Amino acid sequence: MSIPMIRRQLFATLLLLCTLLFQPVQAAGTSQLLQALPDLPKAGDFHLTDLDGTEHRLSSYRGRVVIVNFWATWCPPCREEMPSMQRAWELLEPEGVVMLAINIGEDEDTIFQFTANFPVEFPLLLDQDSATIQSWPVRGLPTTYVVDPQGRLAYRAIGGRAWDDPALLNMVRALK
Amino acid sequence: MHIITLLLSALFIPTAIAAGSATTGSDPETGLAFWRYEAEGILFELNQRLPDQTRAFFQARGFDTDAANQFATSCVFQSRLLNTAVAGGASLQFNLDEWRVISGNKSSSMATTDDWMSRWKKQSIGQAARIAFKWSLLPTEQTYAPGDYNWGMTSYGQPPGTRFNLTLVWHREGKHESATIRNIECPADSPQETP
Repeated sequence: MSIPMIRRQLFATLLLLCTLLFQPVQAAGTSQLLQALPDLPKAGDFHLTDLDGTEHRLSSYRGRVVIVNFWATWCPPCREEMPSMQRAWELLEPEGVVMLAINIGEDEDTIFQFTANFPVEFPLLLDQDSATIQSWPVRGLPTTYVVDPQGRLAYRAIGGRAWDDPALLNMVRALK
Repeated sequence: MHIITLLLSALFIPTAIAAGSATTGSDPETGLAFWRYEAEGILFELNQRLPDQTRAFFQARGFDTDAANQFATSCVFQSRLLNTAVAGGASLQFNLDEWRVISGNKSSSMATTDDWMSRWKKQSIGQAARIAFKWSLLPTEQTYAPGDYNWGMTSYGQPPGTRFNLTLVWHREGKHESATIRNIECPADSPQETP
């Protein structure tokens, strides 16, 4: 076997080893999808007003998939995921999926100022006394649940996500 | 052939939990220090928060000067905890009440959300301010699926400038795991102007 051939084989072996060794790291970066909730607990109903004064009752969306996101303007990962939520909503809204982002504890002026830098078109609901978030199984912001057409909690995401990730969008679509 | 098969098989067998590593450094823009612990399936990060930053954050959300100062000078860090396991991997549970702060010969628990919330109630801090406080701290307990994480403030009850060791505890697949980050430095405070 010639020396160049040995070198090529050695290089190929090293490349294979590097690929195998770094595979978990790459996979970790793409594993941020949604956690399925096998018990499918019933979603707690809420009745909240959005920035335009429109009232939203979760139970009135029965029969549709609803993405319910809990957030605050000062929360860095909440801010980070907002643009991808808008892109996801642009894709999912024509398909009948509802997206509701429930702000915790802040007033309309604060949220209105926030939307100057983070323009979104899906409803931003006000939970100023935090009664709704406290009635849901949420411990930190952001937390998002995907409610199935039967009004059950089907998926959960703790922390921000790239909501326009095709794999994630397909998980939502599969609930319809 | 047999040896090659064995070698290739070994590459695909999940390795035992690797010993984690703690690193430290400073943000090139702010100069503030950070500490990071990383092991298989977990990443925990602490970033110094200057007391002035924390005072300003809570005063803007309805805290009076005294209450904001109590928290701001209790050694506050911006924290991030992630389950870095691959999709389909194990969940990670933690409870900050199990973590230990070791400074000198003393070992103490962390001051978590409930501790502070009962203090704010006694001091008649308004509801809006208490809501902002509650949700801005790292949750005391969580169960993370792979890819889940939280950001939030944590406080260690030490005076500004103090150095301490922090023992983290978490649970994965029924196993109790722990690690210690050494020589963490509480952010220093700037002298307060007297009115």
